[in-house]
Amino acid sequence: MRSVWKIAAMMRVMALDLWRDRGALLMTFLLPPLVFLIFSSVFAGTTGDDIQLKLAVADTAHTPDSGRLAAALARSPEVRAETAPTADAVRRRVKAGQADAGLVIRADPASADKPFLIIADPSRAVAAPLAQARVQQVLANALPDVTLRRTITQLEPALGGFTDEQVENADSAAALMRQDPTHDDGGFFEREAVKDAKVGGGVIAYYAGAVMILFALFSAMQGALGLMDERSTGVADRLLAGTAGMGPVVSGKFLFLVGQGTVQALLIFATAQGVYGVAAAQHAVLWLPTTLAASACAAGVALGLVSVCRTREQAQMLSTFVILVLAAVGGSMVPRFLMPPWLQSVGWLTPHAWAIEAYQAILWRDAGIGAVYKAWCVLTAAGLAGLVLAHVLARRLRR
Amino acid sequence: MTAEPLSPEPIAALPIVTVSGAVHAYGGQPVLRGVDLALRPGEIYALLGPNGAGKTTLIRVLCGRIRPDGGAVLLNGRDPARVPAARAGLGLVPQEIALYPNLTVAENVETFAVLADVPRAGLPSAVARALALTRTTDRAHVPVKHLSGGYRRRANIAAAIVHEPSLLILDEPTVGVDLDAREAVDAVIRGLRDLGVAVLMTTHDLDQAGALADRVGFLREGELVLEGRPRALIAEAFGERMEIQVHLAEEVDAAGQDRLAAEGLEPTGRATVWTRLDADGYAAAGRLDQRLREAGLAPREIRVREPSLAHLFTLVADRKLAA
Repeated sequence: MRSVWKIAAMMRVMALDLWRDRGALLMTFLLPPLVFLIFSSVFAGTTGDDIQLKLAVADTAHTPDSGRLAAALARSPEVRAETAPTADAVRRRVKAGQADAGLVIRADPASADKPFLIIADPSRAVAAPLAQARVQQVLANALPDVTLRRTITQLEPALGGFTDEQVENADSAAALMRQDPTHDDGGFFEREAVKDAKVGGGVIAYYAGAVMILFALFSAMQGALGLMDERSTGVADRLLAGTAGMGPVVSGKFLFLVGQGTVQALLIFATAQGVYGVAAAQHAVLWLPTTLAASACAAGVALGLVSVCRTREQAQMLSTFVILVLAAVGGSMVPRFLMPPWLQSVGWLTPHAWAIEAYQAILWRDAGIGAVYKAWCVLTAAGLAGLVLAHVLARRLRR
Repeated sequence: MTAEPLSPEPIAALPIVTVSGAVHAYGGQPVLRGVDLALRPGEIYALLGPNGAGKTTLIRVLCGRIRPDGGAVLLNGRDPARVPAARAGLGLVPQEIALYPNLTVAENVETFAVLADVPRAGLPSAVARALALTRTTDRAHVPVKHLSGGYRRRANIAAAIVHEPSLLILDEPTVGVDLDAREAVDAVIRGLRDLGVAVLMTTHDLDQAGALADRVGFLREGELVLEGRPRALIAEAFGERMEIQVHLAEEVDAAGQDRLAAEGLEPTGRATVWTRLDADGYAAAGRLDQRLREAGLAPREIRVREPSLAHLFTLVADRKLAA
């Protein structure tokens, strides 16, 4: 029972310390939801389906259909098309970063030769295929007759020519398509959202989890650095000379940091629910254990890492390095599905990946306990391992 | 808040702590070489010695943090390194302000009371008593970071005595504080001594040690080479001799130094101050003044005073005095 009071006394010290440092208090509880809002705004725009590519377009073919395509691109909500007079003008704009990619219509769209030239900067490599896809999409939707005629032109040699009647029918079909471009989008694909009710929320749920684990670890590192202060100010000497030792200090810090991480998570997910409608409250039963496990992991890892260090400077350097690397590899900065496969595999070595995937499973895929229990076990085990390491190293301070 | 005395401790003849033949080495380098030490209740013991003499190691041995390679340590009859409960009777005041700066004095003292197993029911009275004894009651609700240096030092002591230890170890308790603050800390230490607490303190302030300590011990290269009451040690070392200090206006050349040495004067830490011991005191100083003037080494000032603990310390540290 006395041990419980000692641990509670150290939790009180941590709480009072934070409460009286208003700057730290604000940063601990205000920054996480703020950073979440920034991250979610940034990444919801770049990984969702509403990316508007800035496209510089030059029509050097000057045919009726090339003009139709340029006009269709200008009207399309999928791209932000800007007209350029020449191909070189397009190149200059792309090189200067004034456009994400460029399109030069150098021949009639229906011609067999490659009528389109896509220009992109290698530093924005993803822009080229994206621009290509957008142009094809506009071509299919706004100029289906051109697509049909182009297809016929390509097929005719292979089939040994068409009869006059077939050519007449094709021309009729093309004329019909031209009159009513939406009659047939000419594409292979139809889209279906797997969850109609949550369009756009997947990225938000992802980043709520990503920012939560990022800040839980960051704040835990700051809290764990107190161990260094206790060594340098003689508090550790005082306690090691008595009966208490450093055990209650380590345990008290651990429990406080778990609580702190949980409150941070509460604020982040409350913001996610309030601003973006992420259904966190509806999944509270699974959200809470996930949050506790993630917070315990952050607290334990932070205490373990700080305990390994001999000086505050060492601990600060190590914590900065670890926070950045784990966040980058674990998916707190860039969505994991955009990473190469090997990096996605490495990501499973970080608590971030486990926490993010667990939150995704609960909040986005409405998964049950079967989908997240493994993450709970991994996160809790990592946290406990760090806690044990911190206790062992604290005992060695006696010498 | 009223001051209540600590629980009355019987003034026992038996020592609270004894160190017998403590030997310890780090990496083959001897740090303690057969140290014997005993402290009784109501006694202030000043442990003196230059840096690296083994003071910190000896304190760690007393706190049970180091089990010496040889010898024995008993705190209230038990080995503090083997029996953690023995450390319940020990309070340590580190040289640094070992407190949480954002917490008030009372909150700090209460925290360390809980960590030292003070029963919850007795917490308020224990905290009040510790604050009263260290004269910090009027700053009980002030965060430590807002205290003056003197109050911080006393709050540092309050956190170490809240559980009523029988042995209090203070590591440089007045380093970096002004004279008023030092006197206030000294008064607190005397008050604890009067309540029967055995106090062991390390200090480089030899004036403080001479004025405060009942006994002093000189530790040199891990050996306790001299131990006793300050006045008795000084009398034994210097007898009736007085210290004559010659203050020169400026540094002298090699020839001048030879002349000063011929007069039995020895250099001190300051190049313009030379010193010697003489049983004739003032008369000898007069004769010395005349001879130095004749030699062209007119002193700016000559002081005659009784030898101090600092003088003794210098002799011991420089191995000019047999143990």
